[in-house]
Amino acid sequence: MSERVDNLTFYQDLADLMNNNPDQYETLGEVDFTLGVVMADEVGSDLRLRLRFEELGCTDVSPLPEGGESSCDCWLEGDIDSWGEMFNDITTNGRATGRHTVNSLTLVGDRIDVRGDDPMGVDRFFRFNQTIQQFFDGAAELAPAPA
Amino acid sequence: MALATEESIRELPEMTPMGNPLDWSWLRGSKAEWGMKPTPGRRGLTMMDIATGAYGEVLDDPPYRSMAPRGADIDPETPDMGYILNHKSQVWADNVIELYEEAVARQWSSTRDIPWNELQELPPDIEHAMCQLCTVLTEIEMIATDLPAKWMWRMNHHFLEAKMFLSTQIMDEARHSDVFRKRALANGGGLLLSRSEPESLLRSILEAKTYTQASALLHLLGEGFILDVFRQGELIAPTHVEKKIFRLSMQDEARHVAYGTMHIRQAIAGDPDVADEIHEALDHGEQFLIEFGTSPVLSSALAVLLGGGSEHVEDKGFPMQSLLATKIFTSYLARCERAGLNRIDRTDLPLDLLGIDLDAFDRTGV
Repeated sequence: MSERVDNLTFYQDLADLMNNNPDQYETLGEVDFTLGVVMADEVGSDLRLRLRFEELGCTDVSPLPEGGESSCDCWLEGDIDSWGEMFNDITTNGRATGRHTVNSLTLVGDRIDVRGDDPMGVDRFFRFNQTIQQFFDGAAELAPAPA
Repeated sequence: MALATEESIRELPEMTPMGNPLDWSWLRGSKAEWGMKPTPGRRGLTMMDIATGAYGEVLDDPPYRSMAPRGADIDPETPDMGYILNHKSQVWADNVIELYEEAVARQWSSTRDIPWNELQELPPDIEHAMCQLCTVLTEIEMIATDLPAKWMWRMNHHFLEAKMFLSTQIMDEARHSDVFRKRALANGGGLLLSRSEPESLLRSILEAKTYTQASALLHLLGEGFILDVFRQGELIAPTHVEKKIFRLSMQDEARHVAYGTMHIRQAIAGDPDVADEIHEALDHGEQFLIEFGTSPVLSSALAVLLGGGSEHVEDKGFPMQSLLATKIFTSYLARCERAGLNRIDRTDLPLDLLGIDLDAFDRTGV
């Protein structure tokens, strides 16, 4: 799994999974939230992307230029290894566990942090947190079945 | 749809068969706003969709003080209901309609949506600490139902959406009291100690002299703090069951904080002198919050959970608690800034002790 997390298509796959299963998100309610994701790698070819959540789906997954994350309500920023660990935990356990949930990671903030230019935008991350967690937990369903 | 004609109305009876007078003037429609016909979006017909024309015009100083619905043809003799919050800036927030719809869409049930039968047996110290945390939370959450209830009947009905949002807050907080009470009992533990420290903070909120002071104490200070306690609760939750409880509660709490932040902003914009009364309330409230946040019962329970057991309170629990305290108060001060309230230069909070470096303070709070 960790080899895919720095690829935009992985997030499009997560979005497709969400969009194809609105019933799983219906009880959580509609969302209006634009989340940036910044994955830093050692050679400087960071991945920046925008995830637009509307109603019960993820309606846009698109790359962002450097600094483009400021156009989002807030963004999650961390190194690729940390993102890889988070997704490995999800695929291993079927959902994020322990300190690998997006809330836990960003609360401690030493590996993946939540940032934003406006506290009101950052608060949206908390207002829609269960939906965002469920979106990332979708990685468990995308993982190849064990041999 | 055409209005009824004067001629067709004239043909209607003036009295009921019982001899009571009839008024057919409503059949002519309402002044200029008849036929607005808002279009539902994909999620349905929202309060934002119908906030058009006079229906969406929220006046700074509404002319009436009755329950007459905004946008209707209101009888000039409509009675005064005794409202005391009659100016928009006293109750409104620019995000309140959006927050109301969000709250309605994201309601959840502690009975149905928490997988109670998946709770796991925990080490005794962890179970006791979780039960103690839940005891504190079930005690304090009802303040956020009592406080809006105390003020809502004093709010001019013209600000209907603000009252509707506060109604959702009341439901949210009832659910929080419910879910933490259930968690304390559901895994073979129970309610533990209720000490006096929270009560000073709760009383200061209830006894605030104005709604805006109360909102600053409740939404900005108290619920901002509890939002971060819920975030900690999710971090230290021993199983996915508790994680879901804290995440869903966190979502609710964040809406209340979002309302409070923007309400305080609106209140200060409407009357800059209000800032002084808010500062005065927060001067006291922050001290009560420190007393509550450092209370022996709450801080020891959190230390056990953050440390992963009583044997790690000193090497893991307390250091983590200290790190999170920095985050909690940084977020609070940043929200105050966003609300138009400079607390940094005024607060008596022990910023050094809390690890907040004023030179490096990031006003976004994250």
